[in-house]
Amino acid sequence: MGEKKNDILQGTLVLLILRTLASGKRMHGYAITARIHEVSEELLRVEEGSLYPALHRMEQEGWIKAEWGKTEKKREARFYSLTALGRKRLQQEEESWRRLTEGVARVIRYA
Amino acid sequence: MAWYRQLRNIFRPSRLQNDLQKELAFHVTERADDLREAGMSEPEADRAAHLQFGNLTAQIERTRDMDIPERLEASLRNLRLAVRSLAKAPAFSLTVILTLALGIGANSAVFSAIDAVLLRPLPFPNGDALLLIQQAQLKSSERNVAPVRLEDWNRLNTTLLGISGYYSADTSELSGEMPEKLKCQYVAPRFLQVLGVAPALGRDFTAQEEHNGGPNAILISDRLWRRRFDGTPDVLGKTLRFGQTSYPVIGVMPPSFRFPDGDSDVWFPSAPDYPFALRRELTWFTAIGRLKPGVTLAQARDNLMTVQSNLARQFPKPDAEISPRVELLKESKVGGVRRSLWVLFGSVSLLLLIACTNIAALLMSRSTGRQQEIAVRFSLGASRASVAAQQLAEVFVLALAGAGLGLLAAMGASVVFRSLARELPRIEEIRLNWRIVIYCLVCALATTLLSGLIPAIRSTRRSLSQSLAQAGRSQVSGRHPLQLALVAAQVAFAVTLLGGAGLLLRSFQELGRVNPGFDPQHVLTLHISTSWAETGDPKAGKQRMDRILEGLASLPGVESTASSAFLPGVPNEYQLDIQTDRGRAESEPKVHAYARFASPSYFATMHMPLLAGEICREGSAQAPLIVNRMFANLYLNGTDAIGHTLTVQGNAYVPSGQIQGIVGDAREAGLDRDPQPTVYWCGTSFQPGTNFLVRTHGDPAALTEAVRRKLHELEPMRSVYDITPLTDHISDAYAENRLRTILLACFAVTAVSLACVGLYGTLSYLVNLRRREVALRLALGALRGQVVRQFLGVGLRTAAAGSAAGLVLAAVFARLLSGMLFGVSATDGATAAGVLAIVLTVSGAASLIPAVRAARVEPMQALREE
Repeated sequence: MGEKKNDILQGTLVLLILRTLASGKRMHGYAITARIHEVSEELLRVEEGSLYPALHRMEQEGWIKAEWGKTEKKREARFYSLTALGRKRLQQEEESWRRLTEGVARVIRYA
Repeated sequence: MAWYRQLRNIFRPSRLQNDLQKELAFHVTERADDLREAGMSEPEADRAAHLQFGNLTAQIERTRDMDIPERLEASLRNLRLAVRSLAKAPAFSLTVILTLALGIGANSAVFSAIDAVLLRPLPFPNGDALLLIQQAQLKSSERNVAPVRLEDWNRLNTTLLGISGYYSADTSELSGEMPEKLKCQYVAPRFLQVLGVAPALGRDFTAQEEHNGGPNAILISDRLWRRRFDGTPDVLGKTLRFGQTSYPVIGVMPPSFRFPDGDSDVWFPSAPDYPFALRRELTWFTAIGRLKPGVTLAQARDNLMTVQSNLARQFPKPDAEISPRVELLKESKVGGVRRSLWVLFGSVSLLLLIACTNIAALLMSRSTGRQQEIAVRFSLGASRASVAAQQLAEVFVLALAGAGLGLLAAMGASVVFRSLARELPRIEEIRLNWRIVIYCLVCALATTLLSGLIPAIRSTRRSLSQSLAQAGRSQVSGRHPLQLALVAAQVAFAVTLLGGAGLLLRSFQELGRVNPGFDPQHVLTLHISTSWAETGDPKAGKQRMDRILEGLASLPGVESTASSAFLPGVPNEYQLDIQTDRGRAESEPKVHAYARFASPSYFATMHMPLLAGEICREGSAQAPLIVNRMFANLYLNGTDAIGHTLTVQGNAYVPSGQIQGIVGDAREAGLDRDPQPTVYWCGTSFQPGTNFLVRTHGDPAALTEAVRRKLHELEPMRSVYDITPLTDHISDAYAENRLRTILLACFAVTAVSLACVGLYGTLSYLVNLRRREVALRLALGALRGQVVRQFLGVGLRTAAAGSAAGLVLAAVFARLLSGMLFGVSATDGATAAGVLAIVLTVSGAASLIPAVRAARVEPMQALREE
């Protein structure tokens, strides 16, 4: 792994997962990584080491729910989808992200 | 349901592991697929995918941690820690476990009885809708219902699904080699419908079978089916023979069906339209009914009242004097023992409270010893809650172990109850079930909180610096008022229980000391089977009776024999309103008396003295009567009574008669009741339930075989049963009394022992704590006697304070017991003094040992230990 990838800032992973699942489609873990990778035009790469603990913690929190299903290739995979609680959480996360970036941007600009 | 998933994850870790492995492996495979599509070779793609994913096991572990919530895991960790630390203090743990096993066991045992007897509905579908219906009559204590009236009530009421009834008789079954006595029930129509039970095999009676002239048919019990027919299904249609008639079996009842009692083996239909059943004044059914859904007891009662008042207009004689009495069947069965059981339950709850207090004191002593450990945990950053939780976890582990042992004790409860009180209603239904298990668990939880909370809060209250500062060992320890208060509380509860037990024991003693007016010793009682049908020929019955009584009297070792409808000294409520031929003013009270029916030899056999007149001269025009002294004095000016005629109106069974003699007063209707005005109808009628009384020279039980042989010779076609000394019947009649007395006495003794152990333990602990202080004082010249007095004083003062509080509680307890006492008042001074003497003596002894140990401290040695 020669090239340097952008690691995801602690805490933003939840936001990214929630946002990715907000499309309403149920997705398995690999699809979520692939989607984030693709949408961010390969800027962001989700570490497997953080993804699954995060998914399982979010499931315990009740933001997402999981069920076993078959992929197009007929493989068994665990699919995640957003719950109502997760949708609410997504709003909060987006709001706090907006404030964080605004704050950071101001600091960069004026400090 | 997040918590459900979490719990599942905790209890099924292997499944969680498998799922995780599958999920993560899928990720790797998908990645390898993508890499291959991007042009890598297969092994290369696999390797790259694995590399990128990192260590699979480590990832699984990290992810799994998210699935098992921290709080639950902390609880588990606490429990593990608790078990480990308790294993290091086996003596302490064992003491607590045994104390709790005793407390929880006794509590669950009594609860299992309460559950079976009082709480659970009767074992019939919707058993709480079943009613007992009796007829109350102005002039008689007769409660049975006439068959015609039962049918009228059933037809005319609007609130009941149905009314039926039954009466019992012991009858000989004659198809075997030997006659066998079977308890038979003669049932009114709709019997099984009202109870809501169907035969396990075969069918219910048909309408034809339930009416006069219909085909013969019987239902038999499961146990009779197994005993006589080996439990084979082809029993249907086989016959049993009673008297001259064979009856085909049409059904077998399920094993759980025990109505009206567990001894019943055969059910016959009793047609309400037999010619002799049509008289409105002849009564024999114990009637039962079933409420329609949504109807209350009060509505049913009102409805039947209305029905009866309509009947009274139609048949003024005798219906105008009759009114229905309705109560819940369950209440009629268990109402009498409710108070006893709750008193016992209260007592065991006090016992459990003592156990909890005891453990609380023990824990506080222990946690003082662990101050260092607690301080270290605080200094390592543990929160107060977590330290307290850890201590509670320890108690909980102990409580669970105690509850487990207690459950074993509760399992034995039914055996104990059965041996102590065979006559307790529904006793056969006491058995272990999941409700008892849950109750045990609740007990464990409650004891954890009761005994663990205060010590846990107190031991974690001190701030860190304080504890560390206190760790200096040379300090004289402060006072320990809370621990002593807990001990005092134990003493108080123990005094309460002992006070109650003392009153019951004294009542029991008084009951044994009472002069009953007859001699219950050396009397053998027995029954001989017969049927109501035979009473149709009273002359033959009398001849048979005389032959039996004479035959038995001729046996060596027999003094005399008699027969009686009721057993003397066994509670019984048969009372009648009687008219005398002496004119009575309107203002005078009605003549009300207990009625007894006995053979002329009864008075000699029971050693009841004849005071005036003569005993039952037969052959006179009127039935010969004997009255007791009280009746004669109260209603007929003493000895003038002889020659007067007494009549009973409205009762077809009891003929009028002439008083021929006066006998001494006797406690015929129960040893615990004063003698009542009593009239004896002399006669030797032979009917189901008649008691035969055989007075023997020696031990009555020794004659059992001789009596049985003689009766087989005299009456080969009849069975003889219930051959029992009269004293056993009397003591069985007070079984509930005996049960509560023995149990309460056991609980009280346990309570006093526990309180003493508590006192001893706490005092020993205090002595230990103050060893150096004592050593110092001894070194400075204090006398050993002073030291002993000091600690003994602490113990006795604590016990005295507890006793004072206990006496107040005992007075409250005694008020609850007041209905159960006999010959002793609830505020009996002697009992209270006795209780105080016992408790203070025992607690003095318990304090003396640690006090003496304190005085034995070797000053030099103790001081050098520092």
